[in-house]
Amino acid sequence: MSDEKTAQVPEIPFVNEMRLNTKQWLITSAVLLVILVGTPFAWKHTERFKTDADYRIPYSLSKDYWLYHRRLQQIDDHSRVLVLGDSVVWGEYVLPDGTLSHFLNAEAGQTDRFVNAGVNGLFPLALDGLVNYYGGPLRHRRILVNCNLLWMSNPKADLQTEKEEKFNHSHLVPQFSPRIPCYRADANERLSAVAERNFSFLAWVNHLQSAYFNDKSIPIWTLQDDGNDPPHYTNSYRNPLTEIKMAVPEAPANDPQRGPASPRHRSWTENGGNPAQFEWVTLASSLQWQGFQHLIATLNSRSDDVLVLLGPFNEHMIAKESRPGYQALREGITSWLTANKVQFVAPPPLPTELYADASHPLTAGYHLLAKQLSTNAVIASWIALK
Amino acid sequence: MLFHTWPFLVFMLVVLPVFFALRTTQLWIPWLMVASYFFYGWWNPYYLLLVVYSTALDYFLVALMDHCPIEGGNVDVRARLTKFHFGDSVLKAAFIVSALTTVLLIGVAVAGPQTLRPLMGLLGLIFLLMALGSLLSSRKIWLLISLVNNLALLLFFKYARFVVENLNAAFGAAHLALKLPDPSTLMPFGATYVLPVGISFFTFQSLSYTIDFYFGKVHRERNFLRFATFVCFFPQLMAGPIERAKHMLPQFYQFPPVRLQNFTDGCSLFLVGLFKKLALANYLSFYVERVYDNPKAHGAPALMLATFAFAWQIFFDFSGYTDMARGIARIMGFKLILNFNNPYLATGLGDFWSRWHISLSTWFRDYVYIPLGGNRQGVLKMYRNLFITFLISGIWHGAAWTFAIWGILHAFGVMATRELERSAFYRDRVPKLAKQLGVFVFVCFTWIFFRAESLPDALLIVQRILGAGWNDPQVPILMLSLVLLVWIYQFFYESKLRLLLQTSSIRIGLAAAMFVYLCICSSGAGTFIYFQF
Repeated sequence: MSDEKTAQVPEIPFVNEMRLNTKQWLITSAVLLVILVGTPFAWKHTERFKTDADYRIPYSLSKDYWLYHRRLQQIDDHSRVLVLGDSVVWGEYVLPDGTLSHFLNAEAGQTDRFVNAGVNGLFPLALDGLVNYYGGPLRHRRILVNCNLLWMSNPKADLQTEKEEKFNHSHLVPQFSPRIPCYRADANERLSAVAERNFSFLAWVNHLQSAYFNDKSIPIWTLQDDGNDPPHYTNSYRNPLTEIKMAVPEAPANDPQRGPASPRHRSWTENGGNPAQFEWVTLASSLQWQGFQHLIATLNSRSDDVLVLLGPFNEHMIAKESRPGYQALREGITSWLTANKVQFVAPPPLPTELYADASHPLTAGYHLLAKQLSTNAVIASWIALK
Repeated sequence: MLFHTWPFLVFMLVVLPVFFALRTTQLWIPWLMVASYFFYGWWNPYYLLLVVYSTALDYFLVALMDHCPIEGGNVDVRARLTKFHFGDSVLKAAFIVSALTTVLLIGVAVAGPQTLRPLMGLLGLIFLLMALGSLLSSRKIWLLISLVNNLALLLFFKYARFVVENLNAAFGAAHLALKLPDPSTLMPFGATYVLPVGISFFTFQSLSYTIDFYFGKVHRERNFLRFATFVCFFPQLMAGPIERAKHMLPQFYQFPPVRLQNFTDGCSLFLVGLFKKLALANYLSFYVERVYDNPKAHGAPALMLATFAFAWQIFFDFSGYTDMARGIARIMGFKLILNFNNPYLATGLGDFWSRWHISLSTWFRDYVYIPLGGNRQGVLKMYRNLFITFLISGIWHGAAWTFAIWGILHAFGVMATRELERSAFYRDRVPKLAKQLGVFVFVCFTWIFFRAESLPDALLIVQRILGAGWNDPQVPILMLSLVLLVWIYQFFYESKLRLLLQTSSIRIGLAAAMFVYLCICSSGAGTFIYFQF
């Protein structure tokens, strides 16, 4: 006991042979570096990614931000106009040939001048995140950004409520600052979101999962059931490697949820909708508006030529009592855009029967909107600039 | 905070540079202590008080024990009581403080706020014992206080509800109009009653120090910060390995040597542990859960495979945690003891227990089995001692009859095979693989009781394994392949083919493959099974 303080601690054995020395770790690190950097790069050049004039990121790949980045990289012609926004741009109720970008192309007499760069469910805070972290190719581009006031129509949509809410694209929103009250992810989830944004390999892994494994990690995919009772585990004996077809999945040719033939493709009035009250948030308190402002600042800092499309909100759906709040919000936005020398266009509302809900037009609505825009002096001069 | 999460990476990115920057000062010990407390407080800052309390009490108890003669002696109690003639100012002060505090605490326990009464009563008892220990200069009493305190913490947080529920059920069956209150009602200030993570580990670690000091096996540690760091050292605070003062405290006397090998060894251990946890244990857990949560819906093959899967899950989970703990400690230059040594390659049950959760097995050997008499008092008493030790070991894992039965099964297993394993026939004639498979199958059988939600579920699983018909187990091939690869690796490791595993290309290839697999296929950040114990 006397020499306890100076006693040598005995060597503790390893019970496997995975004891790498410095040289082996250096080689391992080099190998890993090549794999981690090289795989997404090589994948990009190997995996088939078929896009056409009306291409939009399939609904099932909405959270595949690596693919979004790849899609933006594909568009190397700087004269093309990228239409950024949420499901209003993407076309929630319509087929790819019924979207705003399609009809803008038609009005311009071209097929691919306007690019549908919308993503379903992408509210302004998330759009800001998408452009910041995955929108690298958006430099010196012409960008038409949609500002959808629906996201400011109540505190919940604006993510201001204290009660926890699960929402789409949570990995794109600010994880630490500014604080989003209803976002209650733990520190690990927040940091993993930050890691995914900064390591393209992790974003590529997300692509792999989205494209081939139903948005699940491969082990979870092997355990997935078919939803029946009793459940059947269809993937148990399947080889995950054979699932990787090396071709980005395409949207279904006949999407039963969208397009004029779909039962969803109906006017809001046909669906029995009535004017509703909206608890508009104020611009000063709006998180979504902060996100939008930041988005514009980011695009400007990248020398993008930005035009904001304000609307088309379904004003027919706003109850009389809620109209002043809407007007105040709209005026606040236009004032800010004017003060900051951001070009914008605020088309009049479409006829009521051309809306499917509070913000999404039907196919004919997009058509009419495109017509309005193509005759708008601001947009005409903006397009003619280059 | 879990080792395999991003916050831990951030934590290490702060802790490590400061730790190494402080190497020439005396501040690295306080830094480790603060980091460890932060690490524990991340889970629940209020329960940090428990760690601090347990640490402080054992520190002072040993300090007071140090003031008492080892052999004991005649103490003039009357002189001490009437003239305060103690002959030792520390004991005198301890007596006065303890006696006054006892009066105060008992006063609060009797007349104070309702929510504080149980806690004050218990503390009053401990201080009363302390006053008695000072008065009698008795080392035994100091030891007793440490035992009572640490075990009371364990009993209250881990077993009280189980005991109360069972007693109330017994009262009900006997038609007695008695009903004990739920232990949560005893929590001060209405605090939440939850099992503090790692309580079984840090109390055992702290307790071993007082016992070892009592028996003269270790020095008294005078530096409180060093002792606190020993108790709460963050790599092994939550789930071990349960370190001994003799092994760990000397490592805190001077800054560990800064060597590149420590870093590479630590990273190697950590990578293997991370792979075990994220790639294997978490994956297996999904299949085990699916089957064990609804045993009625599954046939014999699925139940058998889920039992085998659980055997590997718990091994990968716990040994993965230990590997990561050892790796983190090694990066800093500290050496934690080995906790798992390829237990599923054991050729006998005795061998299994020398390979499985080694720090706990040796703890029970040293502080339960040997004090009970070990094998020194004849065969019958040895079997009795084995039985008691395994039973306690089972109960240590959790407050449920299934854990007790798990311990009893192992006790019977060890007792039944002890002589067989020592026979020349078993040693020389039975093929090694058969012995290994026999042990593995028996251990898997006991895991049924360990894992099942309840005793009826466990019995149902056994019944269905033996009697239910065949149906498709629908176990993922990928999962089976991974386990098979690990098993083959272990067999290689204990055979002549081990040389193959030592080649650089295999090591590098495996390390890179593990890392890439983790990036692509990790199965979520589930917590560790042993955190609940």
